[in-house]
Amino acid sequence: MTQVDIAGLTKRYGGTLALDGVALQARDGELVSLLGPSGCGKTTTLRCIAGFLTPDGGEIRVDGQDIVALPPQKRDFGVVFQNYALFPHLTVFQNVAYGLQVRRIAPAEQQKRVAEALALVRLTGLESRLPRALSGGQQQRVALARALVIRPRLLLLDEPLANLDARLRDEVRWLIREVQQQAGITAFYVTHDQAEAMALSDRVAVMKGGRVVQFATPREIYQRPAEAYVARFTGEANMLPARPAQRLAEGLWRVAIGETVLEVPGATTLAEGASALLMLRPEALSLAPTGVPARVLAAAFLGASQQCDVALADGTRLRLQASPHLAVAPGDAVHLAVDAAHAWLMPDIAP
Amino acid sequence: MTAFLRSLSAIGLGLIYAFLLLPLVAVVGASLTAGEMMRLPPQGLSLKWFGRFLGSETFREALALSLQVAGTTVLVVVTVATLAALCHRALTRRLGAAFRVAMLLPLLLPELLTAIGLLFFLNHLGLGKTLPGLQIGHVVIAFPFAFLAIVAALEQVDPALEEASASLGASGFETFRRVVLPLVKSGMLTGGLFAFIVSFDMFTISLLLKPIGGNTLPLALFDFLTYDFDPTAAAAATLSVIFAFCGVVLIERLVGLRRAF
Repeated sequence: MTQVDIAGLTKRYGGTLALDGVALQARDGELVSLLGPSGCGKTTTLRCIAGFLTPDGGEIRVDGQDIVALPPQKRDFGVVFQNYALFPHLTVFQNVAYGLQVRRIAPAEQQKRVAEALALVRLTGLESRLPRALSGGQQQRVALARALVIRPRLLLLDEPLANLDARLRDEVRWLIREVQQQAGITAFYVTHDQAEAMALSDRVAVMKGGRVVQFATPREIYQRPAEAYVARFTGEANMLPARPAQRLAEGLWRVAIGETVLEVPGATTLAEGASALLMLRPEALSLAPTGVPARVLAAAFLGASQQCDVALADGTRLRLQASPHLAVAPGDAVHLAVDAAHAWLMPDIAP
Repeated sequence: MTAFLRSLSAIGLGLIYAFLLLPLVAVVGASLTAGEMMRLPPQGLSLKWFGRFLGSETFREALALSLQVAGTTVLVVVTVATLAALCHRALTRRLGAAFRVAMLLPLLLPELLTAIGLLFFLNHLGLGKTLPGLQIGHVVIAFPFAFLAIVAALEQVDPALEEASASLGASGFETFRRVVLPLVKSGMLTGGLFAFIVSFDMFTISLLLKPIGGNTLPLALFDFLTYDFDPTAAAAATLSVIFAFCGVVLIERLVGLRRAF
């Protein structure tokens, strides 16, 4: 029911450009993550969508209507904050009912909808508690119920798990996804945690310096990053400079690592002969009887796999995820097999 | 060594408290005397000086005026200081600091200077030596105390709460009424109590601005002490202390002092 189109969003603080033309879309029922390190503009973008900040330029269209001029109380968006932002003087029931009271909904209807919302986040029975008598995870679930009970057009989540410990984080993360899907509600989710973004999102917008550098599905972000910054931010990645790139077909390139010549998929925006980077995720490499010769620098046995740091003949260091069944020790001469289908050639852009 | 230091600091603390509280004990003691002179130890116990105090029309009128002025001061000051504190919160850091200094000016200037300035100014307006003029003087002096207390309470309110309220559909006023007001109530009570005590004790301003024919309690006491030295004055002072003490107990009961400061 709710489709969001954001275009050319800019925000300036004094001399610094916090948002530099952010463009994003969310289709109906989609959960879109804004991923990036602190200061990349992800929270500023979310606050512009919520209406807490007025952008200096650009537009935010919800179902075709530009909402930039609309104050937050007229937007009908549910917001979940990093520090929960529960009203400390109100009970759980009153917190959740707040948006309904403000809307002058009949008390009987309020009772019913609050009970539904609390059941959804599995907090039935805690209605009369004050927020300070709840754990962090419970508080964030109350905040989620409070945002959902008004049946918002859009759900905005600003690092909702950042203040929770690891165990609760997992629990609340799946709850958020489940509830969002059940309600079929369009959502924006700000996080600096790539694992969180990957697990939750339909699409991820990776941000850098106030811009969206890549906006795609988690799989694409991970396997076909637009630049080294995205690759490093979404997980462990080996980057090899690969200059002589020859185009074989649309998106298929021939590159050489040392003596070995590979045919790998790559970005269509690459130019032949331009400087490029070959990304090899640790799981795209394995130890094999033949292949690229290398020497083991360090090996750590992790149980289900072992992590090896190896050096190529020219001194390039690579990290790989090897099978746990092969015993390797530092100093061993080994050969590497490259799973070319899971390598990725991308333009060399300064991070 | 640490035990020695601890007992030393305990003794020091005891001396400071004794220094602060002994005059109070002396006054209360003197007010309970059955004799004719203000002197310690009291000669027998009696409440007759309290009776004398309440029986005096001069003192009764002065007490009534003081309570009336202090009460009005509390209402005006708490309202204006709350608005000023909200304004202070909405300003940027630098503007806010300037605004804060401006609001605290009555506290920074010598009271006598403020009093003389107000006297000229109010005379100009035709309010010199009138009850409204006196009232204005009290409001000006008591204002910074309430302002500070309310600003401190407001700083404890997470701005995200107001954003949460707005996102849930509440207008600015509704957010104030449902979220901000309940959370700064303790600061408003504290500020009101400060304003009451400041107004009730105010001397310099009252001396210069008092209406013709009217006297506040501190002025009446001063006049009385100029000619007499009987324990009625001690009884009046004791009653003032009891008033202030009741105020503190009331705040403690309503919000808890630790939250109020």
